[in-house]
Amino acid sequence: MRMTKQEFLTSSGLQVQVLEFWLEQHWLIPEESAGELHFQDIDIARAHLIRGLKDDLGANDEGIDVILHLMDQVHGLRRALVELRQQIGGGRG
Amino acid sequence: MKNPYEVLGVAQTASAAEIQSAYRKLAKKLHPDLNPGDKAAEEKFKEVAGAYDLLSDADKRKRFDAGEIDASGAERPQHHYYRDFASSDQGNPYADASGFADFMDEDDALAEFLRRSQRTRANRRGQDLHYHLAVDFVDSITGATQRLNLPDGSTIDVKIPPGLVDGQTLRLKGKGAPGTGKGGPGDALIEIEVRPDRRFTREGDDITLELPISLTEAVLGGPVRVPTPTGDVTMSVPKGSNTGTKLRLRGKGAPRRGGGQGDQFVRLKVVLPKTPDPELEAFVSTWKGKDYNPREGAAS
Repeated sequence: MRMTKQEFLTSSGLQVQVLEFWLEQHWLIPEESAGELHFQDIDIARAHLIRGLKDDLGANDEGIDVILHLMDQVHGLRRALVELRQQIGGGRG
Repeated sequence: MKNPYEVLGVAQTASAAEIQSAYRKLAKKLHPDLNPGDKAAEEKFKEVAGAYDLLSDADKRKRFDAGEIDASGAERPQHHYYRDFASSDQGNPYADASGFADFMDEDDALAEFLRRSQRTRANRRGQDLHYHLAVDFVDSITGATQRLNLPDGSTIDVKIPPGLVDGQTLRLKGKGAPGTGKGGPGDALIEIEVRPDRRFTREGDDITLELPISLTEAVLGGPVRVPTPTGDVTMSVPKGSNTGTKLRLRGKGAPRRGGGQGDQFVRLKVVLPKTPDPELEAFVSTWKGKDYNPREGAAS
């Protein structure tokens, strides 16, 4: 589902200043077209993740930077593995 | 469910700070998003999170200690984690190839494969997908929401704008094939077919309806119910109306581009009773005007 900035704020429960900071840090990178930001479900899930890391696990802003960077690499690797598996014919489609 | 103190590995006398610290220690190991490939982590984490939810709430903890509530139902409800989205086929715009970028520099089959897969993945917008949707005439005038079933089993709710014409194409942004990287999805292009209606025909913004009226209504006039796309209205038929007489219902047509509405035209059609009526026959044969010839003076 595509969301406007306002819909994203409502759905994620984030304060607008918090969102601005996260955007500045590139923790969230929504699509942008014609000067409007468009958020997806994955951005909501990522916002919940960041909140959980801060509130539940006690990670600070520096820590979030590191965690997200490594996590994005893990998912990039997993994606490459999935494609490789498909390529060698062992995948499910 | 297990004893929450045991789950977190703390004593029953543990302070709130000790409970939080124990939870954090476990969550750092078990959080499903920190274990994207470990299915079992989610189950374990649910247990730990449930125990923490119970013990971190002073009131709930007191009631649990007093034996008023038990630990069942303390599990957190089903939850979607970031990893569920990050590894979906929709593509993850955040996924980063820098973790294996060095492999791509090598000169072997794996490097070749990775380079190729990166090229096709790099921020490409998804394809536009074409669909066909048949819409009822009335919905095409008033607007509606109609569900479109896609070949993959999913559905899109298509908003039909009022006044849509046959053959028009609607573009639903972002409803096409998923893109790659930050490319974003393509659009769904939906060609609309307006199903013909038994009653209404459309010309431009105007709608025409043929309305049968009785002989009595034609001769004496009077109010009749007329269907329009937005519901029935009452219209008065003037005295002495004829088959072919056209009446106008202002603003009951299709919405005009740029505002306003077209009109609905009602073409009257005088209809005699289905079975011959002896009384009517007797009346007409004694009717003074019976020799009126509508063909008189018409070109032969």
